[in-house]
Amino acid sequence: MPSKKISLLIIFFLLCFIIQSVSAVNMESPLFKIQYGEIGIAGGNKSSTNYNLSDTVGQTAAGQFSSNGYIVKAGFQYIHSIIPFRFSISNTNINFGNLLPNSPQTASTTLTVSFGAAGQYQVTAIEEGKLRTLDDVNQIPDTQCDGGSNTCNESLAKPWTSNSAYGFGYNIDGNDIPNDFINNTYFRPFPNRTENENPAIVMSSTNVGKNRQATMTLKVNISPIQPAGRYQTIINFVATPSF
Amino acid sequence: MKNDNLKFKIKKIFIFFLIFFLLLFSTTKKIFAQQVSLSLSPPLIETIIKPGKSILIAYTIVNYGDPTVLTTKILPFEPKNNFGQIKIKDEFEGPIRFSLDNANFNLGQDFFLKTNDSEQLLLRIRAPEGTPEGDYYYTLLVGSLPQFAQEEKSASFAKATIGSNILITVTQSGQIDIKPKITIFQVLPRLRFSFFGKTINLFDSTDSIPIVLIVENKGKNLIKPEGQIILKGNFGERAKFDILPQNILSQSQRLMLATPSADLKCTPNSKLKACQRSISLIIPGFFLGFYQLSTSLIFGENSPQISASTSFFAFPMKIFFGFTIFLAIIIFIIKKIKNEE
Repeated sequence: MPSKKISLLIIFFLLCFIIQSVSAVNMESPLFKIQYGEIGIAGGNKSSTNYNLSDTVGQTAAGQFSSNGYIVKAGFQYIHSIIPFRFSISNTNINFGNLLPNSPQTASTTLTVSFGAAGQYQVTAIEEGKLRTLDDVNQIPDTQCDGGSNTCNESLAKPWTSNSAYGFGYNIDGNDIPNDFINNTYFRPFPNRTENENPAIVMSSTNVGKNRQATMTLKVNISPIQPAGRYQTIINFVATPSF
Repeated sequence: MKNDNLKFKIKKIFIFFLIFFLLLFSTTKKIFAQQVSLSLSPPLIETIIKPGKSILIAYTIVNYGDPTVLTTKILPFEPKNNFGQIKIKDEFEGPIRFSLDNANFNLGQDFFLKTNDSEQLLLRIRAPEGTPEGDYYYTLLVGSLPQFAQEEKSASFAKATIGSNILITVTQSGQIDIKPKITIFQVLPRLRFSFFGKTINLFDSTDSIPIVLIVENKGKNLIKPEGQIILKGNFGERAKFDILPQNILSQSQRLMLATPSADLKCTPNSKLKACQRSISLIIPGFFLGFYQLSTSLIFGENSPQISASTSFFAFPMKIFFGFTIFLAIIIFIIKKIKNEE
């Protein structure tokens, strides 16, 4: 009998923790309420074997609204946002640990993009200065990969396998990446904003997609004469849909 | 009796620990590295505006990642190439004025967003009196601030920014300058040669047909072509492919995409021409004989229609060459046997 009671108690406790809280969607801010170009109270895609239909109920103007002196094209029917434009970085603190000479260190982060209406998208990357100590006295140069015929640059990846080739660079692997990243030994240096270089496109696609993922691996290899210190930089990723 | 009591006590302790661990595991949350996940909508705004007028656009930014501090800014952009990619400029320029109508922050000021929280950004766009007619292209950027870790390790800190493009046409009369031109409409054949001054495009019958269509906008305002690519065969067969309506910014070119298109499985070292450049349309199938391809584009009501055409031959080259080699080997063997006899 007591075991029955205890079993009931366990079930009750489990139920309490399995049931998740439910929140309502905020429809307005405490400071203001705005009527947008359209208010879709219902809508979406309907289909059967014979037809496809997309509709919106409750729009003040379907897809496009105009007024005296301007026209704006926006809203659900105009830009069919089945998949909202979304950009994620799995880890913003890409930690290399303690850097040791001639011993390459790598760390990675995953970029994820979902997009629908935009049709096309791009993700660019640029470093806000070289990997450098906080006092800005010492810097780790951007990689040139293995050098010689395997010299890479901001727009061309080449193999970087030699432990005596020093610098800082990245490899990217996954969906919608540039073709020159043939395998995980191919690296490029980041473009440097302080040297007026243009951001490099690291992901782009013309196809609609959800959860397009690419893993970026950052690599650092320092020479024995590299002064000791904590080296840091910021990598700026910008995701934009097309026009 | 004593034994029973002991058993019951052990059972109680066991059940107590079971509940304790169940509670512990169900309440302990997984710990991940600092993650940024942002969504911004709408992804694109197109507006035609008179000088002296202003409009208000409501954007929604949602934070699906860890709680973060965000900041907003507007920067101009220009097309980077003809694939729809953009190059965002480093500094603001142009006559269009932007501000946020939000009560608690403006452009360039930080705001905090919790996990799964959203904020409405009320962007006011104003074309001041005297703004020259033409197009102005900008991107609204909402970005996280990098979070530096206080640790004695070397590291890179990622900053995530998400953008939404704003295409503004300033016009006094509402008239749009439409000056389109088809610069490239061609197939990428297996073989191409000249014959009596005519270019002959030759495919194997089993090849997919890659087509490139590039349209140039020589006008002052952006245009959006609509139309079709039509394939006509010599046996009366006909197929239509819709061109996706995509904006072509003023004084730029764009590769148009058509649908439904086949997908090529390209490897990094592929020598296929279609794998080495961007393609508008890939038509799969078995082709035999002469084919004509044509396209016609319109740019809205009362706009000029432009068209272009090309053609190709398809011949079962692989089968033919295979059969020829097979025949040659057979003849060679027969001759050899006859000679030996």
